[in-house]
Amino acid sequence: MVRDAAARIPARAGIGLRAPHYRDVLESRPSVGWLEVHSENYFGEGGAPLYYLERIRAHYPLSLHGVGLSLGSTDPLDRGHLAKLKALVERFEPGLVSDHLSWSSVGGRHFNDLLPLPYTEESLAHVARRVLIVQEHLGRRLLVENPSTYAQFAESTIPEAEFLAELARRTGCGILLDVNNIYVSACNHRLDARRYIDSIPPRHVAEIHLAGFTRNDADGGEILIDTHSRPVAAEVWALFAHAVERFGPRPTLIEWDADLPPLAMLAAEAGHAQALLEARHALAA
Amino acid sequence: MLSLRERQQSFAAALLGTAAAPGGLQVYRNNVFTSLTEALAAVYPVVKRLVGEAFFNQLARRFIRRTPSRSANLHDFGAELSAFIATLAETRTHPYLADVAALEWAYDGVFHAADAQPLDVRRLGERGPLEALRFRLHPAVRLVASRYPVLTIWEANQQDQVATVDIAAGGEWLLVQRRSLDRRIERLTPGEFALLGALAQGATLADACATAGAAQPDIDLAAAMGRFVTQSIFAEEIC
Repeated sequence: MVRDAAARIPARAGIGLRAPHYRDVLESRPSVGWLEVHSENYFGEGGAPLYYLERIRAHYPLSLHGVGLSLGSTDPLDRGHLAKLKALVERFEPGLVSDHLSWSSVGGRHFNDLLPLPYTEESLAHVARRVLIVQEHLGRRLLVENPSTYAQFAESTIPEAEFLAELARRTGCGILLDVNNIYVSACNHRLDARRYIDSIPPRHVAEIHLAGFTRNDADGGEILIDTHSRPVAAEVWALFAHAVERFGPRPTLIEWDADLPPLAMLAAEAGHAQALLEARHALAA
Repeated sequence: MLSLRERQQSFAAALLGTAAAPGGLQVYRNNVFTSLTEALAAVYPVVKRLVGEAFFNQLARRFIRRTPSRSANLHDFGAELSAFIATLAETRTHPYLADVAALEWAYDGVFHAADAQPLDVRRLGERGPLEALRFRLHPAVRLVASRYPVLTIWEANQQDQVATVDIAAGGEWLLVQRRSLDRRIERLTPGEFALLGALAQGATLADACATAGAAQPDIDLAAAMGRFVTQSIFAEEIC
């Protein structure tokens, strides 16, 4: 089939593609720069998800974003999972492929969640080994995303931003910097979100994520939870502007997975991100 | 200091524990149980409706502890819910519930099942004597039988107002299929079900017909096979 020659993801705003929007995207063709899907939603062998993705891919550059590689797990790397991802990459020719700095299973029991890692030299060596295996298997660069975290480990010795930067330096992987996750984790652990961004070398940042969070009560205090169920918060837009200032324009995704709004609202959020990307660009010019 | 492996084991034990947890761990615990419960609710909406949200959530929590997810892909989770329900004392008042779950798992299964070329009946003659042929069911086809009218129950629960269903009305033999992108569930006769069941297990057409005849002496085998072929129940690739 004929595809957009630009398989590469442009340094523009894109949106997450979710099943309820398949038909709307095909009919209304929102003017967003690119689309991102959760890889595992297309691990089935046939039917509607692959049918629609095939058609939509003909009109948009695509990024595959996984939640299941479990890069930090001490269980063996799941070769079956990797094989399915590779088949998907070969079929859809995505511009970017990413997963998270987290783990999901131990002893064969899967929690299907992005669980936190202690940031130690042992973890860094372990994740780096697995990133290298994945990149070799896929024959391409992987992007690794900072997760939202709700707990820290006493044994952690490396700040998360440094951990990610060193992972990128050792493996050549890119960083998918989730600015909302930085904000959520920084609030939860009383860290400085701007300092986090300022300690990431720009050359490693290949993509940015933006999303909404919720505030919840916990232990008499407040905890922010990354729910992907709301508009991007004002504080996160400000942090994004700071990130664009530092990194320059990067492919930027609006992620919205729960309580999904109409497609037009997602496109409007992407429009806002696009304006911030262009403002920086205009300033530089 | 704990090794990474030990740290992950202890974190997992704390997630599965029931003791009060500090705020952060509680968030992970909620996230894990909520996302797995939502995955079950997405596959089993009729079971959820039949037992109500509160009981469904409780059922899901017990199921998640007893039958852990074994795949990094959430879509693989929940195959054993029907068998789990069948073991529960509390659901004896809903004896059809396990079979409704089996029907919903089949309905979900055909959604993700492979596409395949349907059998081209014009080329059957090239494959040798008809009675010795073996057929392959299309990958997006499932068979579900129950002593209870589970499709009637399923259909009633697709409506806002649920009609009363007589659960003593007798069993149903069902064919679940996706054709192109549309899913459907169809009632079969006991003989038709036995015919497809035998073919699915690799029986020759002659043996499958004998099985079907035993299940339902008055079955019109030629008509049944003709209809199945027309409905793309079989895939190309015959042995």
